[in-house]
Amino acid sequence: MIVTVTPNPSVDEIYWVDRLKIGKETQEEYLTRATDSDISAGGKGINISIFLARMGLENIAMGFVGGYTGHVVVRALRDEGVTTNFVWMGSGETRINLTVLEHGREHIPILIDGPGIAVAEGEMNRFMRRYRRMLKVADWVVLAGSLPPQVNLAFYYELAKLAKQAGVKVAISAGASCLTHCLPAAPNIVKPDTREHLSFEWMKLGTKEEIISAGKRIVQDGVEIMIVSHEVTGDIVITRDSIWEINARVQTTQFRNLVGADDALLGGVIYQIYNGAGIEQALRFGLAAGIVSAESREKVCRDMGKIEREMANVTLNRI
Amino acid sequence: MKVGEIMTRDVTSVEKDIPVKELIFILDSAKMSNMPVVDEEGKLIAFISEKDIIKAALPGYFEMLHSTSFIPDMNQFAKKLGQIADDPVERHMHSDVICVEVDDDDLQAADLIIRKNLKSLPVIDAERRLVGVVKRIDLLHHLL
Repeated sequence: MIVTVTPNPSVDEIYWVDRLKIGKETQEEYLTRATDSDISAGGKGINISIFLARMGLENIAMGFVGGYTGHVVVRALRDEGVTTNFVWMGSGETRINLTVLEHGREHIPILIDGPGIAVAEGEMNRFMRRYRRMLKVADWVVLAGSLPPQVNLAFYYELAKLAKQAGVKVAISAGASCLTHCLPAAPNIVKPDTREHLSFEWMKLGTKEEIISAGKRIVQDGVEIMIVSHEVTGDIVITRDSIWEINARVQTTQFRNLVGADDALLGGVIYQIYNGAGIEQALRFGLAAGIVSAESREKVCRDMGKIEREMANVTLNRI
Repeated sequence: MKVGEIMTRDVTSVEKDIPVKELIFILDSAKMSNMPVVDEEGKLIAFISEKDIIKAALPGYFEMLHSTSFIPDMNQFAKKLGQIADDPVERHMHSDVICVEVDDDDLQAADLIIRKNLKSLPVIDAERRLVGVVKRIDLLHHLL
């Protein structure tokens, strides 16, 4: 069983517009009418849960939810066939994340993420008790996304440590500041969130060389696989034995919606490894899943056949 | 069709040592009217509903009354509810829980829900771990 933890879920609202005027471009009130819109449950772990469910893999989603938008998230997950086990917050609403995509420039989304609800001590205790229980049925836990206000940066470290002690494998997808705290727990897979300023306390991750250098140090400390999205259509992957550059031969102008594509990538890698595939097959499938997701209107794709066909466009080169 | 195909995939549940006031909060925020009680392994051990809490908070003589008009106001109920608020759920839950297994037929779940007049029915796996619930609305939605 795979258990995903999304501490700060969201309702994702996506609007497609022909042209967006913002900031200093406008001197007076200006109405932008969307040509299309979409609403869905979001947050990195939730996107991964939905992807896995669409690939036919049963999984359980955990985290904190609140208010009307919390019910939207939980309902959407159940409709996808994901088992839910969320802690309900005493006050506040699950956040809304807004994405605006201009036609023809969908590969450069405008993202506004809500802060989320602060987690109180009682709610955290309730979550930890449930999490320990879930570890008894889990083979993998996926800890993904930003942390809500008032949650300590070492939260993922604590969860990863408990999982490892229970013999459960761990994948973490989060910002570098949060990941830095997790590394001593030696998670199996780490994927830094490249949407944020990407640097560890001891090294920034700008160039390919910097990513490889940091990755080597991280895998030396016990991590098995580090995946970094270096370009929109390419990743660098560092393991204990190898370093790969994976790329997809696609035009970014084909992209309709990049939101969730990164999560489909990690979901694809975990899906393959969970089913016993080797690392190369997992990486090819993962990148193909990310590309097909980016090309579709939906956040994460549901068509296994399309992913398998897209794998032909993925190249994997050892560095 | 199997129960696993029609159930609501939710494992929201409580442990037997949490106080009644916390259970009321969870029932309210999760918009549920009853809750499975599980042990530390996630195995189903009991069931508790809002009806059980109301019953526990009503004055002892309530069942002897023919009409609620004999009760002057809500004060006695509120006072009793306050008295049991810190009780562990264990004190008011039903250990003789009615449930179905994930591979049981939907007909079996429907039969229990109708015959026992239940709002929902916990679903367990072969190791008695909670894996979901079948609600009356799940059956109606499934049959339509």
